[in-house]
Amino acid sequence: MDFALHDEHKLMRDMVRDFAETEVRPSAAERDESERFDRHLMFERLAELGLTGIIFPEEYGGAGADYLSYAIAVEELSRVCASTGVTLSAHLSLGANPLYLFGSEDQKQRFLVPLARGETLGAFALTESGAGSDAGGTRTTAVRNGDSWILNGSKNFITNGGDADTYIVLARSDGSAEKHRGISAFIVEKGTDGFHFGKKERKLGIRSSPTMELVFDNCRIPACNLLGEEGQGFKIAMITLDGGRIGIAAQALGIAQGAFEAAVNYAKERKQFDQPIHQFQGVLFKLADMATQIEAARLLVYQAAWRAGNGLSFAQQAAMAKMYAADVAMQVTTEAVQVFGGYGYTRDFPVERMMRDAKITQIYEGTNEIHRLVIGSSLVR
Amino acid sequence: MKKLLVCIKQVPDMESRFKVNTDGTWYEETDLAWRMNEYDEYAVEQAVQLKEQLGEAELTVLCIGPDRVKETIKKALAMGADRGVHMTDNESHLRDPLAIASMIADFARQQDFELIFTGMQSQDRGSAQVGVLVAELLGIPALTTLVEFAYDQGTITAKRELEGGSRALVSCSTPALVTCQLGLNRPRYPTLPNIMKAKKKELASLPVTDLKLPPAQLKTAAMAPPPKRGSARILEGDTGDVAAQLAAVIKEKM
Repeated sequence: MDFALHDEHKLMRDMVRDFAETEVRPSAAERDESERFDRHLMFERLAELGLTGIIFPEEYGGAGADYLSYAIAVEELSRVCASTGVTLSAHLSLGANPLYLFGSEDQKQRFLVPLARGETLGAFALTESGAGSDAGGTRTTAVRNGDSWILNGSKNFITNGGDADTYIVLARSDGSAEKHRGISAFIVEKGTDGFHFGKKERKLGIRSSPTMELVFDNCRIPACNLLGEEGQGFKIAMITLDGGRIGIAAQALGIAQGAFEAAVNYAKERKQFDQPIHQFQGVLFKLADMATQIEAARLLVYQAAWRAGNGLSFAQQAAMAKMYAADVAMQVTTEAVQVFGGYGYTRDFPVERMMRDAKITQIYEGTNEIHRLVIGSSLVR
Repeated sequence: MKKLLVCIKQVPDMESRFKVNTDGTWYEETDLAWRMNEYDEYAVEQAVQLKEQLGEAELTVLCIGPDRVKETIKKALAMGADRGVHMTDNESHLRDPLAIASMIADFARQQDFELIFTGMQSQDRGSAQVGVLVAELLGIPALTTLVEFAYDQGTITAKRELEGGSRALVSCSTPALVTCQLGLNRPRYPTLPNIMKAKKKELASLPVTDLKLPPAQLKTAAMAPPPKRGSARILEGDTGDVAAQLAAVIKEKM
């Protein structure tokens, strides 16, 4: 057994950390405060560093690196700014990866290559007001009309929504088929007639990442924009989300790591009763537990990524990693605020932002409750 | 085709907590994270810029040390060097600057390099001797602590940083060696695609035992962390005074 990262992983981690510290961290608080998505910083600069297509082969505009590299990149970005982490995660594993896994050669050339190069930003639209954890409840419709599909309905909580150029949209293409079998996946480009943006969500956390409602009003797309086969949409969505969970697990891990480092530094600086507060066992034990939880989460996340990169089954490991890392992120950031005391509760220090950012990781890409249900069911089957 | 050489060193992350090793002559190496020496990053960047300017040139990166230094060589390859040479030496941290310089000079002697780039000094040993000793051993001019660099048809025109922030404009003809200082350039990030491409570049290993080394002229007798003392300096006076004092402190440190 070998737990060592390869030189390439270490070089990439150092490069992303260097970029994140120098360019992303300085504006993280301001972007959170003003709910501002900075496309140049949070996406185009990532493209220049070769991070927008990490896992795709070079012939499709990617870097030809593995899933572990992807996890490390999201972790390092999220360590300073969870919004930047989720921008990359939603773009790469939700927007672009289904095209790589299920797209025709023509679709890959037209849509995947510019996504991987970072010329276009990707998004994935599954959730609706009535279809969250229950994806089979999709009500957006797609009706075949000659050489076109006509989409009607709306999608909620779409990460990168409004700013993304290419959307993978799940819609019901066969109303008579059984719940899961009647769904298909479609590629919809921003600017298509009948494709509008609804309200922008005002969120607790990841506030510099745009979350938007999508509205389809007789939106006509060419028949060749059907992704995969008709009726394959549910399967495409589930496989896409399996990979996406590695990104969110890595995001949660990065948030926890960032908050932990801030807490350790503060515990060394802050003095009460003439001694640094880390000398109080109540604080020191917190730090020890935080460090241990983060290390355990990292092993789960890296293992899931390693399995995905080595062609092994990883759905269960990715679900466990996402669920565990998200819980760790929530616990660690909450304790980090506690270590900071009153200062931690103010927006003058980054830990309250990290605590707000952590919460979403327990909710999106499958709530932690759904993951417990799925993992648990598989144990007693 | 012009041949260029950049010599780099791997050093611990300066954020690390250092512990003196058991025989008291160096730091404990376990649990340290390793990086490219910061000044060598300026050297690599400048060498890559020159390579790009020349169009046709081959840039070799050389590093001496144990197996772990390969990671740092790969970073230089990912930043744009063409081939790597690793002089395998587990004892490199014990050698004096002349021994290290002799190894580099022996390697460089037969190769007809137009220009050799090094950092001004290493962040851990900090002798600032290796670069100039290499130049001396090769009998070529050395331009040190460069903050500006230009090359045109066999002539280097450069600015050196002197004490107090003044600059000296110097020039010489190649072959030559230059040592690079903070402020010379902004090193590029090794992008992920370039990290992946670097895996395919040549990285040769040379055993150091094959070379004849001069006897050591310097030996570290003992090493110790500085004594603990109050590090704060309180500036006093009215706001204008304090601002002026603060500006002076910053200027002095820059």
